[in-house]
Amino acid sequence: MQSGRTWIWIVGLALWVALPFFATRHIVDLLVYAGLYTIAGLGVAFLLGQCGIVNLAQSVFYGIGAYCTAWFCLRHGLPSPVGFAAGIAISAGIAAVVGWPILRLSGYFLALATLALGIIGQVLFLEWDGITGGTLGIGGIPHIAPFGFAFNTPLRFYFLVWPITLLLLILHHNLLHSRNGLALRAMRDSPEAAAVLGVDIHKLKVQIFVLSAALGSVAGSLLAHYVTFVSVDSFAVDRSISFLLLAVLGGLYTVWGPVLGALFVTILPQWLSKLGDIHAFVFAAALIAAVILLPEGFGGAIRHWRRARVTK
Amino acid sequence: MTAMDSTEPLLQVSATSHSFGGLRVLQKVNFGVPAGSLTGLIGPNGAGKSTLFNIVSGFLLPQLGTVRFGGRDITRDTVQARTHAGLMRTFQTPKVFGKLTVRENLMMGCYRHLASGVMGNMLRSPRSRAEMQQMHAQATEAGERFGLNGVMERLAGQVPVGTQRLVELARSCLSRPRLLMLDEPSSGLNTTEIGQLRELLLRLNGEGMTILLVSHDMHLVDVASEVHVLCFGSIIASGSMTQVKQDERVREAYLGV
Repeated sequence: MQSGRTWIWIVGLALWVALPFFATRHIVDLLVYAGLYTIAGLGVAFLLGQCGIVNLAQSVFYGIGAYCTAWFCLRHGLPSPVGFAAGIAISAGIAAVVGWPILRLSGYFLALATLALGIIGQVLFLEWDGITGGTLGIGGIPHIAPFGFAFNTPLRFYFLVWPITLLLLILHHNLLHSRNGLALRAMRDSPEAAAVLGVDIHKLKVQIFVLSAALGSVAGSLLAHYVTFVSVDSFAVDRSISFLLLAVLGGLYTVWGPVLGALFVTILPQWLSKLGDIHAFVFAAALIAAVILLPEGFGGAIRHWRRARVTK
Repeated sequence: MTAMDSTEPLLQVSATSHSFGGLRVLQKVNFGVPAGSLTGLIGPNGAGKSTLFNIVSGFLLPQLGTVRFGGRDITRDTVQARTHAGLMRTFQTPKVFGKLTVRENLMMGCYRHLASGVMGNMLRSPRSRAEMQQMHAQATEAGERFGLNGVMERLAGQVPVGTQRLVELARSCLSRPRLLMLDEPSSGLNTTEIGQLRELLLRLNGEGMTILLVSHDMHLVDVASEVHVLCFGSIIASGSMTQVKQDERVREAYLGV
């Protein structure tokens, strides 16, 4: 069993390394986006799966990360870690300040509150064109180039974004299998009993919201470094919906689910676009089929399949 | 900790009143739970037991009166603050974490004594790992003590109700409360299980745990050293079970003889 697992990891790693060399540049580009979406979607999925919170404001944090990178690395010529750090700090700060009051709400009201935050963010990105460049956007953002090696092609960026994604997935896996993770799962089953055992439910929700925002910001900063151009179009509310979609599709109860969800929402529409005008309908149909047939998402389906195999 | 008058009980409810709409559920209730005791609170259905229980555990703010615990006024404290002060309750229908295993439920019992944070846990800090091991070990130990060995890895939502009660009780004990409050712990149990529960409560009390037992089950409340009888929102009698049983008003109101 243990050695079987090791082999799966080795084969997976080999496939991951080999894949971009056999794929077209376009596909590698999509795989990079899938990595970025996984990071932002992981935040949304973790928040929804573990705390039952629908976050429709992830596009705002995604935007904050991107604009911080543009502002600090392009305007002020500072190294890229500064952009990442500033984005994370600002996103986390906003998430904490806004999250503290709105996370007292629940269900639809909370979802609407996050939607409002998403819309406000979109408007501000447009209006504060001194910082964001408005509809014209900002171009010429430097690539990430540690020690003179620039991550300036899809292939190179592929080998940057996926290790970061993996690292973040592992960190969330650790969190889920810790005291806090246990409390999150307990709280989902019975908030009263969790409170009686000493879990500060509101504080924990705010912490996970802050974490989710930080992930959105990291994805945004990476995006800015990758495409070297940012504009408000990338941070509209429909992007938040994509993140939510990939989270639900991937499955909310596994940490790995968002990877599959992100591959689905980035790769499939592109493949289907070969079908011509009908592709949007086919994608919608595939989406509906996935939701109906896999109520717990891809991650949930795989977990069920593995459980069933083990019990056999 | 504030200085505690040596004569003051661990829990003291004073002049507590509460109404729902026009219905007065509690009327100037006074009663105490001395440290180390096994105190019973009995009363027929609708006597106000649950309301009183919810007021003491922090799920309901009383309209009048105070609740003191460990020499401190906790009337307005949050549920978590009460937990950290050492007050622990169970629920009438056992609230286990259904999608967690029995072991994980027990591990949650240790929650309040541990302090690893989100960042440390993400990075698997030495403290985070040590705490997980500690929770695991304590859950194993409690599993043995409460006879849950055989079901440790099963989902708590899928074990029988009697076992769920035991899980809830074991989980509560793992948080090492100063006062354990049990809400109708015998409901849903058969006679054998009630017998085992009696033994267990006596054993826990013998080990020094202060217990407040709220129930309408006379047979179970027999284990209490002191009993308060609540009827139509007032305490109508207090004393040992034998004394209480002989009280005219109790016989009339509760036993119906």
